[in-house]
Amino acid sequence: MSLIEVRELTKEYVRPKRVTGPFGAIRTFFSREYDRTLAVAGVSFSVAAGEIVGYLGPNGAGKSTTIKLLTGVLRPTSGTVTIVGPEGPMVPWRDRERNARHIGVVFGQRSQLWWDLPLEESFQLIKALYDIPSARYARTLGRLRELLGLDEFINTPVRHLSLGQRMRGDLAAALLHEPPLLYLDEPTVGLDVLAKETVRSFVEETNRTSGTTILLTTHDLADVERLCRRIILIDHGRVLYDGSTHGLIARYAPYRDVVVRLDPDQPEPSQGPQWRVGQFIAERDLDGAWRFSIPRDLPIHTLLTGISVEWRVHDLTVEQPDLEAVIKRLYGERRAL
Amino acid sequence: MARPRTLPQREAVDSPARAGRRGWLVTLRRTIRLYWILRLAAWRSALQYRLNILFMVAAGVAYQGVGFVFVWVLLHSFPTLAGWGLREVLFLYGLRLVAHALWLVCCDGFQLIDRAVREGEFERMLLRPVNPLIQLATYERQLDPFGDLLTGLTMFGIALGITDIDWTLWKAVYCVLAVIGGALIEASFHVGVGSLAFRLQNLRSVQLFIDDSMSILGSYPHGIFSPRFQWFLTFTMPIAFIAYLPASVLLERTDGLVVPGWLGYASPLVGVLVFMLAYRVWSWQMRHYQGVGH
Repeated sequence: MSLIEVRELTKEYVRPKRVTGPFGAIRTFFSREYDRTLAVAGVSFSVAAGEIVGYLGPNGAGKSTTIKLLTGVLRPTSGTVTIVGPEGPMVPWRDRERNARHIGVVFGQRSQLWWDLPLEESFQLIKALYDIPSARYARTLGRLRELLGLDEFINTPVRHLSLGQRMRGDLAAALLHEPPLLYLDEPTVGLDVLAKETVRSFVEETNRTSGTTILLTTHDLADVERLCRRIILIDHGRVLYDGSTHGLIARYAPYRDVVVRLDPDQPEPSQGPQWRVGQFIAERDLDGAWRFSIPRDLPIHTLLTGISVEWRVHDLTVEQPDLEAVIKRLYGERRAL
Repeated sequence: MARPRTLPQREAVDSPARAGRRGWLVTLRRTIRLYWILRLAAWRSALQYRLNILFMVAAGVAYQGVGFVFVWVLLHSFPTLAGWGLREVLFLYGLRLVAHALWLVCCDGFQLIDRAVREGEFERMLLRPVNPLIQLATYERQLDPFGDLLTGLTMFGIALGITDIDWTLWKAVYCVLAVIGGALIEASFHVGVGSLAFRLQNLRSVQLFIDDSMSILGSYPHGIFSPRFQWFLTFTMPIAFIAYLPASVLLERTDGLVVPGWLGYASPLVGVLVFMLAYRVWSWQMRHYQGVGH
């Protein structure tokens, strides 16, 4: 059963064309010319309850706009979003306040906490804003304090917190009302390795124990590899890929690399940058090793036999393409377009 | 993986959806309660910076104090202003300033709407299950409005001591309601102008124009203007209802008005109506919100 249903979602930003020159601001105001930017162009997908979905794409692909449409901050130009709430289906921008009760949102770039007040006061304000009954508040906060280790800084004003502490505070704030649906927009941006790990295991734990559905945008693919079984990849406001993480790699990187280093006391097998062994062609790496790209369906055996007839292999590694390599290639093709 | 949660079982929540026909009343009560919680939080934030407190209040007093000196000089040069003596003008000036301070103390955050929209803070407000207008109202964390309030109350207090109004309970109640009405009219102008923030980047100059108009045109007897302009200030840009009409009623100077005297009694009601209108404009313009970035 799907919790989020997105159909042909489109958002075109229409902004008055900036007029430069004398009285630019006033002329802009009365200008009838507009700049149109198609940020989201007919996106469709659905998310089932309990899933963690990685929503990926390069900068400017339309990720944040989609999140804003899903959370009810913006109205789309066309298309629909339906969120299944406990009181029936909701359209985020039309039932904004009702929808807001059922979602938690964390922006890595911007805190939702009260800057000048101690962290705990932010929690109490959220308790009031979401009408959380006192008993449930005490129970939830107790659990979050323990899971996120909030006790050491819960009485510190938010402006004095480190980025990692602030992010832990933001995660707690987004989950105090126990939303069934959580949007995380770059939750690990700018964090150190340990803090990233804290965030990841907390997100995993939340999904596992509470069944919270999570939509995650990030540029750190380690987040995705650790958390998401499913990826939606978008670019230019369109869905490029929607499916499992493994499927993405298999589809866009049907090769693995075999890196061969020969014993140095033999002559070079080739003077040029390429070396042909039967049907396989290797490229020379900067450090002198040879790199073969072998299609996944061919066994490596054929290559190894071919090499060992004439050459002594000193070292051999097989590099499976990871998500990063795939994404890099996809983004690279995009720039080439 | 645990059983996915689609239909969370909740304890009863004070939500409008459950309240049925009296939903709007429940919503209003909840909104007012949350307004106070957020208002107090904003003041607590301002109090974090202890040294600032004194400076902020002092700045407010100094700013409004200059206005007071101006009235004093004015009435030492001219014995009367459109037939009003020093005491009466002081009463009017004080009444306007108290209404002005009341709106500022309650809702000064409205003035920051352009910044909130430009810098994306407004998005955060739209993510909360409460009207964004009250989140904006309590967004400012400054204390200078208390300086305005202090000056206003002092001037109004002095005026009360030197004018001979025959105070009755009804007049006192009317006076309090008129101050609230005046504050609502000032707030309405700012909500109305604020709704332009969804189309314009910076509203500072428009806001200053509105503020100056209200303090210059709102604080002196309108008899100094032509009748046509007085009509304009009553029915088109209803600045007369902020303090001039209420002061005319309380000082029993309604004979000099270009409009019927009973209209003065309607000031609190006008405040409510104008605010409702401004709120409609605001809600309508909010549909044009485009967000920041994409």
